[in-house]
Amino acid sequence: MNGENKQLTISNPFLPEPARIVRTYYLTEDVKFFQVRVVDMDKALSFKYCPGQFAMISVVGAGEAPFSISSTPSRPGLLEFCIRKVGGVTNALFRMKENDLIGIRGPYGNGFPVERMRDKDILIVVGGLGTAPLRSVLLYCLDNRDQFRRVSLLHGAKRPSEMIFREEFFALKEREDLECHLAVDGDDTGTWTENIGVVTTLFPKLKEIDPSSTYALVCGPPVMYKFVIKEFVKLNIPKDQILMTLERRMKCGVGKCGHCAIDYIYTCLDGPVFTYWDVIHMRELI
Amino acid sequence: MRIIKLKKDNLFPFLEIISEEADLWAPVKKGDKHAFTIIDDLSKIELETTRTIIPPKKIFTPPTFSMFSISDKGYKEDFSHITKKILFGIHPCDIHGLLTLDSFFKQAYLDPYYLEARKNTLILGLSCWPDEYCFAKSTHTHVIEEGFDLFFTDLKDFFLVWIGSSQGDDLIRLKPELFDEGLKDQDIQTYINWQAERDNAYKWNIKFIALPDLMELKYRDPLWEKLGDACLACGSCSNVCPTCNCYNIMDKQFLGGKDGKIIRHWDACTLEEYSEVAGGENFRKKRSDRLKLWYTHKLQAYISKYGKPSCVGCGRCIATCPVDINVRTVGQALLGEKPDAFWARFNKEVTK
Amino acid sequence: MTKNNNNKLKIGIYELTGCAGDALLILDCEKELVDIFQAADIQSFLMAKSDNIDGELDIALVEGSVSTEKEKKEILDIRKRAKTVVAIGICACFGGIQAAFLDEKEWEANFKEVYGNIKMKHTKPVQSKPIDEYIKVDYYLPGCPIDKEQFLSTLNRILRGNPPELYRFSVCVECKWNENDCLLNKDIPCLGPITRAGCGSICINHNLPCVGCWGPVEEANIASEFQLLREKGFDHDFIKKKMANFSGTGMADFFGKLKGEKG
Repeated sequence: MNGENKQLTISNPFLPEPARIVRTYYLTEDVKFFQVRVVDMDKALSFKYCPGQFAMISVVGAGEAPFSISSTPSRPGLLEFCIRKVGGVTNALFRMKENDLIGIRGPYGNGFPVERMRDKDILIVVGGLGTAPLRSVLLYCLDNRDQFRRVSLLHGAKRPSEMIFREEFFALKEREDLECHLAVDGDDTGTWTENIGVVTTLFPKLKEIDPSSTYALVCGPPVMYKFVIKEFVKLNIPKDQILMTLERRMKCGVGKCGHCAIDYIYTCLDGPVFTYWDVIHMRELI
Repeated sequence: MRIIKLKKDNLFPFLEIISEEADLWAPVKKGDKHAFTIIDDLSKIELETTRTIIPPKKIFTPPTFSMFSISDKGYKEDFSHITKKILFGIHPCDIHGLLTLDSFFKQAYLDPYYLEARKNTLILGLSCWPDEYCFAKSTHTHVIEEGFDLFFTDLKDFFLVWIGSSQGDDLIRLKPELFDEGLKDQDIQTYINWQAERDNAYKWNIKFIALPDLMELKYRDPLWEKLGDACLACGSCSNVCPTCNCYNIMDKQFLGGKDGKIIRHWDACTLEEYSEVAGGENFRKKRSDRLKLWYTHKLQAYISKYGKPSCVGCGRCIATCPVDINVRTVGQALLGEKPDAFWARFNKEVTK
Repeated sequence: MTKNNNNKLKIGIYELTGCAGDALLILDCEKELVDIFQAADIQSFLMAKSDNIDGELDIALVEGSVSTEKEKKEILDIRKRAKTVVAIGICACFGGIQAAFLDEKEWEANFKEVYGNIKMKHTKPVQSKPIDEYIKVDYYLPGCPIDKEQFLSTLNRILRGNPPELYRFSVCVECKWNENDCLLNKDIPCLGPITRAGCGSICINHNLPCVGCWGPVEEANIASEFQLLREKGFDHDFIKKKMANFSGTGMADFFGKLKGEKG
């Protein structure tokens, strides 16, 4: 008996869903923004996710890779990603145009515990492409502004030209219900009007916080975590209220292939969002 | 569970009959060792084997297989590796291995490639006798209470047959006259004696219960660097392990408008590429770090999560690793003994 | 055919010093040859056609090692003309058998023994080296010869703008997939652990030890393999010869360090 055309009794979690690129443009020299829509309308609307989750995106012939979702579930229907050109799959994605088809499956991972974060102060610290997953939670907080108390954002980029969502963040600075500080490590344009220095130099600018009711979120390049977490700890934010999203090589997204394993947890199931308390107890986490 | 008796001479007639129902797979000779193979000639079946070179996981997720065929029209699921099979001659430790894989492939999301193949395969277990590598008694996987449709205990002149499922019972009913329902006291005594003798035949033992804590306490021990220096990073320990399940994916494309394939192949956390992320950064560049992950999974993680190690004591890593990095020598080293192993003798300075 | 070639990628297939086995393998893709010619514009392929053009290329597939002054110029010229250079076969990737001399002196001695004091007129021979000693190589497709399926899949990926997807682990992985009993454990000197996979462990499938013809795997633990073979009773020179045979310059560093060890 040949099983090739056999109907399965269980659904196939590895089967990508066709999705169309609605908009794509460069955010920086090597980072591109993608707005996509799952072709099947029912499936597009049932793609229910939580800020901090990720999706697997595939390009026929090039392969499949995990990407943080940058959009917010409070604006359903369209999914947004910021993607840096680093390998085979991203190279193929960069060649694609609006209206082209890609494959998508997900959402995967735990995401941020937005229920627990309700009625708390939210402090978001991002660096570089770390903006991708945290933009989701930031927009979510702003769209549901009455559900959260103070919301603050510290944003760092290497240079003005490497700042992603520049216009969006400058526009956010105008909002009175958000404390927003922007910095670049160095200004090679001579036109930067905000702070100059690494992201941790923004901490003294923060208005006094109430640490026990603050959730502090961080995402950025690996070197950043250590320094930012030190600042959080200095502010007395409880270790289990410090949240970070970590990059590992999610290959399947559904806890099967093993590539994202750290000790005995699977980043794709138990992460990518971890508390600092988790991290202290996981030998390999950062 | 119902237990019946089968005369030795009746085994092959029984296998003959059931092989008409589905593809029969059983251990046959491969060089000096054994391998599970599809059987076209019953006389090739080896009844007195120890471990096969690679475990029966290959039947459920083959080393490489196609998950999808891809064309301009999109993805088409490919389940061609799934056929109706009867697997005969699988030992208790390997059945335990499958049970471990079952819980893994069912966790959070169901893996249809493994689970469908599992559903289409009947498991006919067979008792075995330990050799110098076996340590299934240490992992308590030398006995089996579930996970089979039939289980045959070889008592020299006859088999005792445990009927583990309704499908197993259906096989018996294909020719019930081959079996004997009435067990005599003497048969039972033979079984009791056999069991005691078999249990005593295990030549070595390892204290698994101590290992999770020792993995934690010795996580930064120089032992790991020593293991890492000698490790060939050949991935064999994973490939031969009945509970290793990691895999990787490849996009195979062909010229001339032919459909491409998404290939899934076995992977191993001891290989360099395993922990590399996009852009080339590697979280476990060092072989010692990768070995720590492997042993954390085998000796610590699974015990913490499920109360038993994910090692089933089959001895394949002992029989396979050319530089003696295996559960026995690593376990011994964790317990403070000095194992007789190539890696313990290896001195990388000699070549400098 | 030429009039439809405008938007096809231009490919050149070149042979330097080697047995031409890789070019022959490409020609031997009988069923797929039409597909190759349809998918790409083959500008130069000495073994297959005579109307070869040495112009701008999208992809250059280069077989063989560089072993004369003339070939040095040739490889530099290929690099200048081609957007992507792919080294195909063990000789282009690692130097191959002809590069198996571990230092300049050994090479000179060997050269003298074979050729005596003959003056070479058309070009000056140099110690054989893999092509990346002279130019930047974009992709490597090892093998002796290369594997047909891997070649077709790699060519296809490159034609579509995707990097090749090759096994980066050792022969042992494929060998276990094929359920072979480990030859090293039977004291047979097998180079599987330090050799790159892709061949489908073909030798071991036939009970023959791996000779390393796909070159060293990225993370080859040569020291461990070396001492393992020493423990199994093989002497220094035997192991050195065996390892150096196909790996060309790939293992020279290691044996440089090994000089203190008595054979």
